[in-house]
Amino acid sequence: MKPGDPIKLVAELLDLPIMDKDGRYCGIVDDVELSGNAGKKMRLSALLVGPGAYEGRLPRWAYWLTRMIAGDRIARVPFAEVDHIHTSVHLKCRAEVVGLHTVEDKVRRMIPKGGAL
Amino acid sequence: MTAVGGFVDISELVFAAKAGSLFGYALIWAFALGTIGIIVFSEMSGRVAAVAKQPVFNLMRHRLGLKLGLLTLAASAISTLITCAAEVGGMGLILHYLTGWPYLAMAIASTAVLLASMWVLPFKWIERTYGLLGLLMISFAAALVSIHAPWGKIAGGFVPHVPSGLSTKQMLAFAYFLVAILSAVLFPYETYFYSSGGIEEQWGPKDLATNRVTSIVGMSLGSLLAISILANSAQLFGPANVGPEIPGSAALEVAIPFGSTGLLLALLGMLFAVAGAAVETCMSNAYAVSQFFGWEWGRHKKPWEAPRFTIAWIACFVVALAMVLTGIDPMTLVEYAVLFSILVLPLTYLPLMLLANDRKYMSQYVNGRLAKSLGWLFFGIITAAAAAAIPLYLLTSGGQG
Repeated sequence: MKPGDPIKLVAELLDLPIMDKDGRYCGIVDDVELSGNAGKKMRLSALLVGPGAYEGRLPRWAYWLTRMIAGDRIARVPFAEVDHIHTSVHLKCRAEVVGLHTVEDKVRRMIPKGGAL
Repeated sequence: MTAVGGFVDISELVFAAKAGSLFGYALIWAFALGTIGIIVFSEMSGRVAAVAKQPVFNLMRHRLGLKLGLLTLAASAISTLITCAAEVGGMGLILHYLTGWPYLAMAIASTAVLLASMWVLPFKWIERTYGLLGLLMISFAAALVSIHAPWGKIAGGFVPHVPSGLSTKQMLAFAYFLVAILSAVLFPYETYFYSSGGIEEQWGPKDLATNRVTSIVGMSLGSLLAISILANSAQLFGPANVGPEIPGSAALEVAIPFGSTGLLLALLGMLFAVAGAAVETCMSNAYAVSQFFGWEWGRHKKPWEAPRFTIAWIACFVVALAMVLTGIDPMTLVEYAVLFSILVLPLTYLPLMLLANDRKYMSQYVNGRLAKSLGWLFFGIITAAAAAAIPLYLLTSGGQG
């Protein structure tokens, strides 16, 4: 499926894993951002990634718990950066370009470079 | 390793030996039935990994949605964590039998060795070491041959039946063992581990034959070893009214025909098989969490290349060890592991079935009539078993009758 094709948001996009152009996992489509006006055609403008996007998708207490543990950051991935959608969403760019992989990179700095010879 | 290290884990060791002692050969069919089930779901998860390139937990989140997916993740993480603690406790017990040193110290040493080996060794070496040394469990099959087992009765055990003349209490205990064995054979972590492995090894449609052979041969081999333990127990322990309550009793099955060498081989086989299962459980938890939240994951990557995945598997071992260090009886952990796992099974296998039945993603590799029928049949069986598990546990005080 290409970005210009009509899409069933829940069945075909929400909660799919995202892979960057190097084939690295870099998040899940936690929510989407739509643009357009009432009565007009809606357009998908961005994918929202991160625990902050769970608001509205989880019961209030569960969201509060998630926010306490994982924070409330959200990365906005412009839909123009999507190359194609199949069982994963494949990006045209590297994760860092759209603000993904930030936590992964922070945690990486804490792990020794050795191991698994 | 999925076949030996994952299949003959501490739960199967305990439940196979106890079932043989209590009900003779009558529960062999439960192992056979569970084995067909795990073959069906493993083959399906491997095929989905090869064709749709999706591991189980990605499917689960996409198909069940965030709320139900999160609930499944939590339940599954808890059940796999308890299973991991049971394996760590099992290793501690087996090392205690082998060395005579304190059980808790041996559990700490086991965890340290597992952590160090997973940090230092490439995964294929971990797989080979624990998988191949776990094959010492074949000593149980050799013991069965050497005691001149009643092969006719063993063959009869493969036919589903309930032994006649059981009291209501015994009948409930029989049903509890049936559910526990199905749960132990169909542990959900095996499918998470297997399908994630398929993705990492970059399986494609050309690997589907390998997937089928691995599922059938690997799982059947593990099952035959578990059935050997049950049959030895039925032959040696049942008539003597010996209740093999701890893993060490099972090792006596090999000691009786082969003496101290047999005992050593059986204990070493058990140690490495249980160690393999411990690695699988902790990796499965790391896979589950990482896939659910879209983190980098992979056992073929260096630890720093998938940092949150690395922290997840280390944390799983540390928490499992902490559970053991509370002093909880490892056999209680085994009971809880099978009880929690059966509750998670329907939620694990439903999304897998839905995707494997979806022609849009699977094209010509979609479930055929046989896979679809068997899949739904086993889904019905595990759902019924999940519904019965807690009532049976309470009614029988954990199989005590």
